[in-house]
Formats: sequence, structure tokens, C-alpha cells
Amino acid sequence: MIFRPKYFFGETFSSFRKNFLMFFTAITTVAITLFIVGFFIIIVFDIQGILSSIKSQVAIAVYLKDNVSDELKTYLENEIKSWDEISQVNFISKDQALEKFKKDNEGSEILKEIQGNPLPASFELELKSPEKVEQVALRFMDKDGNFIEGVDEVIYGQNYVQKLFSITAIVGTIAFLIIIVLLLAAIVLIFNTIRLSVHARRKEIEVMKLVGATNWFVRLPFLFEGFFEGFIGSIISVVLLYFLSNYLLIRAEKALVDTMHIKDLAILGNNNIILYVYAGLVILGGLIGVFSSGFALKRYIGV
Amino acid sequence: MNMIEFKNVTKVYEDGNIALKNVNIVIKKGEFVFLVGPSGSGKSTLIKLLIREIPVTTGSIFVAGRNICNLKASRIPQLRRNIGYVFQDFKLLPNKTIFENIAFALEVIGKPAYAIKVQVPQVLKLVGLANKVNSYPHQLSAGEQQRISIARAFVNRPPILLADEPTGNLDPATSDGIMKLLSRINLIGTTVAMASHDKSIVNSMRRRVIELEEGEIIRDQKRGVYGS
Repeated sequence: MIFRPKYFFGETFSSFRKNFLMFFTAITTVAITLFIVGFFIIIVFDIQGILSSIKSQVAIAVYLKDNVSDELKTYLENEIKSWDEISQVNFISKDQALEKFKKDNEGSEILKEIQGNPLPASFELELKSPEKVEQVALRFMDKDGNFIEGVDEVIYGQNYVQKLFSITAIVGTIAFLIIIVLLLAAIVLIFNTIRLSVHARRKEIEVMKLVGATNWFVRLPFLFEGFFEGFIGSIISVVLLYFLSNYLLIRAEKALVDTMHIKDLAILGNNNIILYVYAGLVILGGLIGVFSSGFALKRYIGV
Repeated sequence: MNMIEFKNVTKVYEDGNIALKNVNIVIKKGEFVFLVGPSGSGKSTLIKLLIREIPVTTGSIFVAGRNICNLKASRIPQLRRNIGYVFQDFKLLPNKTIFENIAFALEVIGKPAYAIKVQVPQVLKLVGLANKVNSYPHQLSAGEQQRISIARAFVNRPPILLADEPTGNLDPATSDGIMKLLSRINLIGTTVAMASHDKSIVNSMRRRVIELEEGEIIRDQKRGVYGS
């Protein structure tokens, strides 16, 4: 068969014009279903991002005894800094601690009760891998279960950390299943719509076959159409998702940052993953379009 | 030269219905043949076998000397390009103009645009509807639509033209016009086979008549009439 691009594109374009309603239906179906799938994927990535931001802020507070010498303090600080799991160490002196306490409780009765400075100095540790929090905390104890010299107490919210990790895992699994179900629903819906649009033109296929068109000559314009329907539909869904994630989600995330005091929230606006999601949706749209047309044609092409 | 030859052809459908029983027909190049008989006598089956829409059960069919029964699927389009096919219900595409409907038949067999531009007006002139190039099928009368359908079947100048009840939906005056057109196409040298129910048309034409009944040929008569 000779490939004749002018005929195929011309045929695709003119049938686009003449079967507008069918095209419109197919494209809207692709756009809406893929939008829902994409929206869910973005939300899931967002939730995962928020959870991992929270996780990354899992910190250990090491309170020092009041009588700790500068030498011991420096020794401890250097020791902590040499551990691989640590991403950052901040020293907070007694004065700084008091200042912060005053600031946090401004106008409160409590401040009047305070005499001198009852607050301890401390190290605040931030971890590279939050899962190792317990391991790191245990290093401040000797083998008898007492804190090492100069350390008064170590706090890292044990229960809270464990719960957070298991919640993240559950959310991840459920979200994955929902995305799979949504995706299957989208594929079936798009397939049926495109099948209908092929069915609406079975007379055309019959005539083509009877005047001696080869199967590929019949098939190609339909495959082009299926591709365009999927492609244009998915582009529309990506454009909608782009605006949605740029305006609504980022606004929502900012609100979260403000209310929950989460620093460095992994917002999607500056996340490369979303580009892969967009590209994936467009490729998926085009592929579903071509395959749906191909499968739908199988029934009519055997005249 | 034998254009069409049926040799001991039997067709049994999947549901067990025997449509043709041991049929033998020879149609020479340039002949005009009527296939007559009641509904279900096997006329349509005969035509469908010729264009390989359905396969034979036993026997063989030759078109221009070639056995088409063992044709590979990829060669079927080639066979159909040599056989024009006119339907009772026209099968024009409603969303294409007359020009596009006929051009479509050429485009899908890969004819270049310049050939299409020449051939379509030519065939429209032949069927007497050159002025309807830009009309849509629904704007034409039934007779005109059938002429367009014939134009589409003939635009590629196939050596054989098959017509399945082409006047079945038309009134007598319009039918006469269609028959004149088919005669003219036959005169150019095209072999024409036409299935028909229409007694007056068959009688007035005085052409070869093959009569089928329950899948068997009961009469094959030169210059025949509808009823024996």
C-alpha cells in the first residue's frame, strides 16, 4: 500500500468537521476521565509530600544538665555532628530557650511566675532518615540505661513517630489501588466512546470495503482519529490540571504551611514528578485512542 | 471469453440453510444477465459469492479465468476493484457531497488526485447528473441517488457491474431511466449482472434471464422474460 499522508490527514480533518458531535463526545470523555485520574494522582503526591515533610522534621531534643562545662558541650556537639544520620544540629543556650519561651507565651500569667531561668540548654537534632530516630536517641544512654554524662533528658515523641510511618504506608497503598481503579474506569469509558464513534460510521467502512479498499486503507484514518481524540482530550485534561495545581493546590498548601508550621513543604509547583504525570497522561490518552479505534474496527473490517 | 463462471457451486450457511445447490453458470464478456426468482431463491447469495463477501462451501467460481475461491484475504480488494457493485439502498454517505461520494471510491483504492478530478465529472456526465456535483445525497430524488450509486460503482471502469435489485425502491418511470443507464454501460463492453424482482423491466429488456428457485437454476434463457 502506498502511504498517502494528504489523503489520511485530509480524511481525518474532514471527518473531524463532519462528525463533530462524535468527536466532541470522545474528546470530552477523554478530557474528563483523565482529568479525574490526574487530579487524584496529584492529590496523592501532595499528601505524600506533606507527610514526608512532616517526617523530615522528626527531631530529637537533647536537654543538658545546668552544670555542663563548655568543654563537654563542645565535645558532645562534635560527636553528634560526626554521625551520618544527622542533617543538622542546633545548640540552644539557656538564655535562648528562655527568650523563645517568653515569646511563645507572651501576655500569659505564667511569665510572672518564672524566677531566674529554669529552662535547660539543649541540642536540637534533625535527621536525614527519620526512621532511625530511635537508634540515634539510644546513643545518649549507656548500657545501664542511664543518660551519658551531661545529658539530662532525650525527647523524640516515640509513639507519634511510629504512627506517622504506618499511616504513610497505608495511605500510599490505598491511593495506589484507587488510582488503578480510576485508570481502568477511564480506559473502559474511553474505549466505549470511541467504539461508538466507529460504530456510527460502519456504513462508510462497508462502502470502503466493497469498492476494494485494503484493510489498512480503511483502518488508518480511524487510527489517526482515535489518536487525535485521545491526544487532544488528554492535552485538555493536562491544561486543566496545570491551572488547578498552580492555583488551588498551592494556595491550600500555603494555608497548611501557615497553620501547621511545616517548613519546606514539598509543594508540587516545584516538583518534577508532576511533569512526568502530565507526560504520562498525554501518552496514555494517545495510546488508548489508537487502541480503542483499532479494536472497535476489528468487528466491522471483516466484510 | 468467460467473464464469470460458476462450477458446481454449493453454498450452505452456518445455520444449515442451503442457499445454492450445485449451480453452474457461464457469463461471457459483455453480456447482460438478469437473475430472477423469489426472495430467498439465492440471487443475493450468488452476488455475495462473486465479491467474496462470503466463501463458497463447495465448487469453484472463476472471474476473468481466475479461481477466486482460494484467493488470499490480501487479494480480495483487488478482486473488488474489478467488480462494480450497485445496492438496492444506494449506500451513499450522507455527510459527503456527490463529488466526494464518488471520489471516495477512487481515493480508498489509492488513485491520485489528478485522476480523480478528471474521472468524477466524466462519470457524472455519463449518468446525467453533472450539475449535482456539490449537492448532498438527501437533496436528490431516489432515482438520482441510484444514478450516483451507479456512477460510484462504475467510476473505476470495472469490467463487471453487479446490481442487487437496483430498481427495488424506485417507481416505474425512474426505473426505466436506470435500466437505460445500465444498458449504456453494458454497451461500452461491461458485463452486467442484475438481480431483479421487477417483472415489467425484465420483460421489456429481453435479455438473458437466469431463474433461481430454492437455490437451483430452473431456467436459463436467452432473450427471456420474467415468468416462463
